[in-house]
Amino acid sequence: MSDPQDYAITVENLVKSYDGVKNAVDGLSFQVKSGEIYGLLGRNGAGKSTTIKVLTTLMHPSSGSASICGLDLRRKANHIRRMIGVVQQEESFDFTTVERNFSIYGMLWEVPRSIAEKRTEELMELFNLKELRKKRSFELSGGQKKRLQVAREFVHDMKVLFLDEPTSGMDPIMRREVLDFFREKAKEGLSILFTTQILEEADRLCDRIGIMDAGRLVAEGTASELKNRFGSMKKLVLTVSDEIADGAASNVREIVSRANGIEHLTIDGRNIIVLGNNVSRSLPSILSGLSSIQLEIDQINLESPSLDDVFYEVVAK
Amino acid sequence: MFFMLGIPAFYLLVMGLMLQVIIPNFTYNGVSTSYITFLAPGIVGMQAFTAGSIGGSMLWADRRWGMFEQLLVGPFRRSDYLMGIMLVAVFFSLAGSAIMLVLAYFISPYFNITVFSSLFMVFSLIVGAILFTSMFLIISVLVRSMQAYNTITILLFFLIDFASTAFYPISSSTPIALRWISSVNPLTLIVNIVRDSMVYGVSGTTYISSLVVLLVTMVLFVVSLKLYRNVRTGI
Repeated sequence: MSDPQDYAITVENLVKSYDGVKNAVDGLSFQVKSGEIYGLLGRNGAGKSTTIKVLTTLMHPSSGSASICGLDLRRKANHIRRMIGVVQQEESFDFTTVERNFSIYGMLWEVPRSIAEKRTEELMELFNLKELRKKRSFELSGGQKKRLQVAREFVHDMKVLFLDEPTSGMDPIMRREVLDFFREKAKEGLSILFTTQILEEADRLCDRIGIMDAGRLVAEGTASELKNRFGSMKKLVLTVSDEIADGAASNVREIVSRANGIEHLTIDGRNIIVLGNNVSRSLPSILSGLSSIQLEIDQINLESPSLDDVFYEVVAK
Repeated sequence: MFFMLGIPAFYLLVMGLMLQVIIPNFTYNGVSTSYITFLAPGIVGMQAFTAGSIGGSMLWADRRWGMFEQLLVGPFRRSDYLMGIMLVAVFFSLAGSAIMLVLAYFISPYFNITVFSSLFMVFSLIVGAILFTSMFLIISVLVRSMQAYNTITILLFFLIDFASTAFYPISSSTPIALRWISSVNPLTLIVNIVRDSMVYGVSGTTYISSLVVLLVTMVLFVVSLKLYRNVRTGI
């Protein structure tokens, strides 16, 4: 049996209710190993941020238990806060400059000044903040603020890092660099609990993924395990020659809905994306239907489901 | 800065000097004084209230800009955060009142401050700042929006400042409702202690007022501490 100390985070049957009637987190259990990146996915209101608020000691759990690095959340909150880093979803700034944000963090965490200054320079370089160092935080764009919010957290040492949608507002290049930085830190032993709405990010970054719905964990595993588990579905992408107009879209919906085994339909520009168990068998009837409304097919692709599709299968159904 | 020093300085200089023209010397606590000599301790004592309201605003600014939650997940206890705000308020109270005292000396140097009486003044300004900071922190836990907090603060600003003995003595000719509000207003007690220590001399009433202020402060401080241990974050 594993020692609880082996796990960075242990959550057992955690419940959090704001009003005593409805549970925002409802019997949640999962574990995060040391040096692991664990992704929590879910729709808005699934309970991800509430889970992070409870695990970072901002809120008391209603029932259940949790521990961080083997320390009980209820009894050792002060100790836990010295071992964690938190990047919250909401912005958090003082009216100070970018570089002062770093020095305040160093001071709050009692990082020796020489070390804090060295780290500040490295982090400003890495997060592309050097040219902004004299700017006040309210003068920054949304993406720049997010970069600062993530970067300043690494001024201090920590064992567990909680990231609540840390890349929102960042451009794709910076996002990729930040994810690679998280991966490097995990290799050095940092454990990370990560929430995101961008499933591609979770697929790229996380060692394991937990999908939450209505406060509960409804699926858990590595990205490939989840894809295999829900892999009975296939994704059919039909690309037509012209943009699908509103009138044609309703006809497409009617045609697809008559086919068997179709779980989900998305119309996106020139693409008709169909998800289901028997999409290949339904293909002839869909093609003949589309032909009857004069839609010319340019390309047909049959794909295995992505994490996006798994998420739909698990949550939206 | 304007709120902390500008308004009290305005009260002292403009109201004090202008109203002195129409208010002759009057006897209060058995001593004949000019209006400005009576007013100056009121303005000094009011610094405790102003500093307390600044403490509450600091907390709201942190909540508004997201720093409150970020600080609460930092390497300290919630009580450390509260103590930080209280210390800043105490500093503002002492610094602001020292500036007002110097200003008052320039325009009316008729004060009777001894080393012993100044201890009461410092005590009331420190304890008063903690009392009013605790009061504003309690309000900030109980209200859910910045607008509500600002409305209550403005209302209290008028009620506590003007229904106290800071600007005028309370006598039998004062309307009974105002007399009652003034008697339960902590600023009345604080101003009375400062006034005794600056003008009329420390007496048994000063001791009793100091004890009451201390007790009220302790109650409000404990309540604010308890509320903040369990405050729900996110607004």
